Amino acid sequence: MYLALMVALPFLGAIAPLLVRHHSRRTISYAAGAVAVVSLLLLGYLTPSVLAGEVPQFLATWLPQLGLHVAFRLDGLSLLFAALILGIGLLIIIYAHFYLSQHDDAGRFYACLLLFMGSMLGIVTADNLILLWFFWELTSISSFLLIGFWFHQSNARRGARMALAITGAGGLALLAGILLIGNIAGSYQLDAVFAAADAIRAHSLYVPALLLVLIGAFTKSAQFPFQFWLPHAMAAPTPVSAYLHSATMVKAGIFLLARLFPVLGGTFEWFTIVTLVGLATMLFGAYFALLKNDLKGLLAFSTISHLGLITMLLGLGTHGALLAALFHILNHATFKAGLFMIAGIIDHETGSRDLRKLGGLRKAMPMTMWLAMITSAAMAGVPLLNGFLSKEMFFTEAYQQHLFGGLSWFIPVLVTLGAMLSVAYSIRFVYDVFFDKAHELPKQPHEPPIMMRVPVLILAALCITVGIAPMIMVSGFLTPALTSVAGADAEVYIALWHGFNLPLLMSVLALLGGIIIYLQRTELFNFNRQFDIRDAKDVFAGIVSRVTRFCDNLMQRIETGSLQRYMAALFILVLVFVIPELMNISALTGSRPQLDVDAISLSGAIILMAAAFGAVIFHRQRLTSLLMLSVVGLMVSLVFIQFSAPDLAMTQLVVEVVSILLMILALFFMPQRIPRSSTGGRVARDILIAGFVGGVVGSITFALLTRPFSSISDYFLANSVPGGGGTNVVNVILVDFRGFDTLGEITVLAIAAAGIHKLLNNLRPFMPSGDVDGRAWHQVKHPMMLQTISQLVLPLALMVSMYIFLRGHNLPGGGFIAGLVTAAAMILQYMANGVDWVKERFNYNYQSLAAIGVLIASLTGVGSWLFGANFLTSWFTYLDWPIVGKFEIATAILFDLGVYLTVIGATLMILANFGQMTTRHRPRQEGH
Amino acid sequence: MLTTVLQFAFFMFSVALLLNLLRFFRGPDLLDRILALDTIYINSLALLILLGMWHHTSFYFEAALLIAMLGFIGTVAAAKFLLRGDIIE
Amino acid sequence: MLSQHLAILPLLIPLFAALLQLFPWGNNPQFYRRIIGLVSCSLLIIVSVTLLLQVNSTTLVYAVGNWQAPYGIVLVVDRLAAMMVLLTALLALPVLIFGCYGEDNLGSHFHALFQFQLLGILGAFLTGDLFNLFVFFEVLLISSYALLMHGGGKQKLRATLHYVLLNLAGSALFLISLGILYGITGTLNMADMAMKVSTLTGDDAAIARSGGLLLLIVSGLKAALLPLYFWLPQAYATTTGTVAALFAIMTKVGIYAIIRVFTLIFGADAGLAAGLGYDWLWWLGLATLAVGGLGVLGSRDLRLAIAYLVVISVGTMLTTFSMGNDRAISGVLFYLLHSTLVTGALFLLADVIAAQRGKTASRIIKGRKLAQHAALGLLFFVAAITVIGMPPLSGFVSKLFILEAARTGAQVALLWPLVLFSTFLGMIALSRAGSRMFWHTLPGKPADISHPRGQLATIAVLLLGAIALTIFAQPVSDFTTAIADDLSQPERYIEAVLQLTGGDHE
Repeated sequence: MYLALMVALPFLGAIAPLLVRHHSRRTISYAAGAVAVVSLLLLGYLTPSVLAGEVPQFLATWLPQLGLHVAFRLDGLSLLFAALILGIGLLIIIYAHFYLSQHDDAGRFYACLLLFMGSMLGIVTADNLILLWFFWELTSISSFLLIGFWFHQSNARRGARMALAITGAGGLALLAGILLIGNIAGSYQLDAVFAAADAIRAHSLYVPALLLVLIGAFTKSAQFPFQFWLPHAMAAPTPVSAYLHSATMVKAGIFLLARLFPVLGGTFEWFTIVTLVGLATMLFGAYFALLKNDLKGLLAFSTISHLGLITMLLGLGTHGALLAALFHILNHATFKAGLFMIAGIIDHETGSRDLRKLGGLRKAMPMTMWLAMITSAAMAGVPLLNGFLSKEMFFTEAYQQHLFGGLSWFIPVLVTLGAMLSVAYSIRFVYDVFFDKAHELPKQPHEPPIMMRVPVLILAALCITVGIAPMIMVSGFLTPALTSVAGADAEVYIALWHGFNLPLLMSVLALLGGIIIYLQRTELFNFNRQFDIRDAKDVFAGIVSRVTRFCDNLMQRIETGSLQRYMAALFILVLVFVIPELMNISALTGSRPQLDVDAISLSGAIILMAAAFGAVIFHRQRLTSLLMLSVVGLMVSLVFIQFSAPDLAMTQLVVEVVSILLMILALFFMPQRIPRSSTGGRVARDILIAGFVGGVVGSITFALLTRPFSSISDYFLANSVPGGGGTNVVNVILVDFRGFDTLGEITVLAIAAAGIHKLLNNLRPFMPSGDVDGRAWHQVKHPMMLQTISQLVLPLALMVSMYIFLRGHNLPGGGFIAGLVTAAAMILQYMANGVDWVKERFNYNYQSLAAIGVLIASLTGVGSWLFGANFLTSWFTYLDWPIVGKFEIATAILFDLGVYLTVIGATLMILANFGQMTTRHRPRQEGH
Repeated sequence: MLTTVLQFAFFMFSVALLLNLLRFFRGPDLLDRILALDTIYINSLALLILLGMWHHTSFYFEAALLIAMLGFIGTVAAAKFLLRGDIIE
Repeated sequence: MLSQHLAILPLLIPLFAALLQLFPWGNNPQFYRRIIGLVSCSLLIIVSVTLLLQVNSTTLVYAVGNWQAPYGIVLVVDRLAAMMVLLTALLALPVLIFGCYGEDNLGSHFHALFQFQLLGILGAFLTGDLFNLFVFFEVLLISSYALLMHGGGKQKLRATLHYVLLNLAGSALFLISLGILYGITGTLNMADMAMKVSTLTGDDAAIARSGGLLLLIVSGLKAALLPLYFWLPQAYATTTGTVAALFAIMTKVGIYAIIRVFTLIFGADAGLAAGLGYDWLWWLGLATLAVGGLGVLGSRDLRLAIAYLVVISVGTMLTTFSMGNDRAISGVLFYLLHSTLVTGALFLLADVIAAQRGKTASRIIKGRKLAQHAALGLLFFVAAITVIGMPPLSGFVSKLFILEAARTGAQVALLWPLVLFSTFLGMIALSRAGSRMFWHTLPGKPADISHPRGQLATIAVLLLGAIALTIFAQPVSDFTTAIADDLSQPERYIEAVLQLTGGDHE
């Protein structure tokens, strides 16, 4: 429980600095510091039991289905790292309090820092691999915020993005690796994974899993070839660099290697990859560290180099190497954090971090100078400091391996070379800053506030005490840590003096060689100048922007914005999907007998086809094409009549005419001539696609029509009169069996009306002042002949529509057709007499009419509830009145009334609105 | 007798429809096409009435009535479009 | 009385609300319309929660007009439908509240169309009848046509035109497909059709298969599958935030239709038509995922980037679904919940950001500092890491479900790299967008447009949903697993629908 609390505290505590954001800087820092202190106390509380060999664990289920639990453990390795994270974290918080300027948002800074601290703690204490990955990605995210803390600087923004991209990508690889491991082990809990170690190493997926995990670790720890993001992350405020890029985040990769060493380590692949990558990183980092003129750049590359060193030790994987690795992790964290803080102090006090400008600061900042000398000496591996001890152990291991047979001597030689470079840049760090000759600096240098030096002082003191008395200081810590990496009963023995042996010689050579290299550094600088080394940040930004542009271009090729192409894609997909299925059909023609053809049907078919082709051929003359379409519509309705579907025929007819009217209305606003825009190839393509789609649909239709058919329609025929109370099955289906569909469709109509109204509201279309041949419009708006006839038509049409409506339940007709007939008659009035004329006589809100229609239909449906029946359950009875005789009343007629009103309301709303728009905006050049 | 007459009428109206179609395609003017369309409507409704007589039913009369009315409205709309561009104003 | 009609309430509530909103309402209509809309959306949440509690014990079947299945239209509320209804309701209320802060005034009929849109979406989820599904598709499409144009503008009109025409073609194909399926099976009820399809032989099966594949195309068009997704990016990127956020559920309707039809009718038990289209879905889904990734990275506009994130999510879901195992389907449903809420939040957020940036709008270039820099930055940050699937929020949980669902070597070898790589591309794109919009600001005064806290709170509420999904991941995934279990045994659905008693009509 305390363990979980320890990890959770920084996350919860991250809110604290934000809450006191508007208070003084001191309060904010105290709030952040308090969180770290409490966590540290919790760790202290747990430490004795860990040192005694126990492993406190915490388990709460979160997502058992995925094997993801909130599970923490505090073994030796976790303890070592947790102590580093919290201890150095606390020092950083103190240091940052003085480092940040008044303009910086300290609340945000500390909140992010605490988030990061919690994430790191999570990584090192996670007892579940997925949970580990969870915190792993959180460190990427929180470090993104920290690196980008000074986001007004371009460097910070780009550095942050690059760090996120590289470590984030590594995290994704790690996830894949972890999932592979978990699948092999059957669990993500560390104990289970450790138990399955042999099975994992023997599994065929071991190598991919290893590679993926290593990519994760190497990106995080800035190992070659992923090292390039780290120097650019130095755009972060120095406390962040000191914390993330020396003591913690970059160590996460190392931690992961150590954590999974018992599972993945010890194999040939592990050894080869990890060792060589470590070696390469060490040399690469050391070389570039020496070349850097930026103080933090130097430290960044030196960090890369030291991380390489640790990686290499983990790769070697012997007992001694693992001990050396753990020991060096501790040592590196202490001296490198100290060095970063010193760099921050120098930057803070002088305003510059450039080694070429700095110099002679020993007088102004004597104490800082001493601290710098101690910590750099530790970095260089000078005896009596902690760095010396771990480096000696490293030399021993490098010398003792025999992994490349006869060429194994390469490794100690290269290692010594790396150590020389390390000595050289350590000297440079001290000498160029504090000695050398003084230059003009942006600020007058002086010692920083005492509390800024105290954290460094503590770290420097640790360097010395550990260096002198390693067994007293750290063996207690290292024993359990080594146990958890190397297995049971690990023994820790660190000696100050091993006698005169080869590793000592290597140390001596390194020191001497380092001094020589430092003295000859100008030669090296000149040599290096021959290479055109581009800034990784620019390269990264260049790659990102090039890839972005590439994607953008590619997408513009895929999405040309051409509707024709999108349509083509749709229909080609139809062909690709359906044609293979149809090719499986053995006989298209089914077993049904076919009807004879008569002359009328034949001529009807000829007209139908001719008109359909005509509509396409004449598509550049819009009105002609429309007229062709209306012939098609007419013929289709005749076909319906021929095959005894009068309802359908009537519906088809009215819908046909009303939609043609609508299109003629719209035609007014369209360009009168259509330019010939399609190339021959396009036309051929379109003809092919259209032909094939038509052929496919036609074939299927033919296949269906020639097959015997039994369906639910038999039920409708049988139940129309007894169940629905109507002899016109079509109408009973519409208003009863499937009345719900009809309700949906009239809703669609009402929506369409509202939608068109909405569209027209915003539209100010162009209106031509003459016809296609440029002739001016005719002067007479409303010819008298037309007016007279149309007024006669109205009452007749209304009567017909009432008749069709009322008889609909038993004979062809119904609300839908009746509504359209009424609407058509009304439209005729609009055409003949104009909008204003109609408005004077029939001023009704069509929108409300449509809404009322749907409302009546819906309320009819809800009315069934009163009788305890389901929505839209119909009810009918027969009444026998004198004179009138026997007749039927049904709730369905109420529903049909709703349909009727909706159709009228919606249709007129669309057409009348269209007309009204032109009346409002028509250019007045005709004197009427 | 009536059967023969009806058959003859069916034939003639079918031919008339095909001729209408010819006019419809040949044009040459939009006016010709509108007129052709109107005639197609009329001939179709004639065919429908004949069909009703053939089957001895009044079932088709409503449809014929609708064709008559809607054909008229369609023709008016097309004519008005030629005249004024805007059919509802 | 209402409990008996619970299944149809999610449709009647928005229907009546929309109809009432169509009336003129005197001098201050917007006030009444807002009230009606908010009441409707709140009621929807209550009803859908009640439904969800009920369906755990039994599948509700509601015969409209009291006509027994397969003859009449039935509404079927099983776990899947109930979950989708609840998700819609949970998305709708915050989005509507956001819209009520002024976006509803940009054009007429916003509120009615919003409710009609809900009606269409919910109807598609609830219906158990294929033709009725078509009707509700039409309802949702026609209202979406109108909503897309909300606010006006040339670009919007163009995108809408593409959307409308492609979907009209889609509707035609839907009808053809229905004709084919009805022609072969003689029924429209999905449960009944499932039974009939499983017994088909020879040529009949092949014809039914082509009908089914057409249905896949139609649903794929709605869902935005690869060669059919072209309408989506521009449409989502140009419309207003509220509409785009509501549309976060629209692609899911297509996905729902695919899940429903291709487990029930063309599932494992479908005889000769078994497993229809799954291979297509696998490859096209992967391609969609890839193209979505490229699109996200190539986007120069935040809204466009979000639209491509939607494309990625579609590819992810359909690919995963096509693997067909229970874990995959459960994972898809979890992902669906997550992606709907987060993309909804992101579209709203993009709107706010664009408004505060002024002339640079949502283009990913440096620009004016935002007035509510900190709050918006935080919201964007949270939404971004959630949507790309980084810890700690629901994105990573759903991503894990998806990755875990891949079983065979080939599945792992294709799905993992693509999913992870698209995550990576999303990360690069959104970090670039965030960095440009929030960090790379021009010196000078920030914008003077600031948004009311209530409006920003709606975005936060949607993101809270993502947080809840993370914390309660296990109970939610228990539920989605139960759904996957239901779907793998279509006979449960069929029995529930067809053995409905009490169909005797007075």
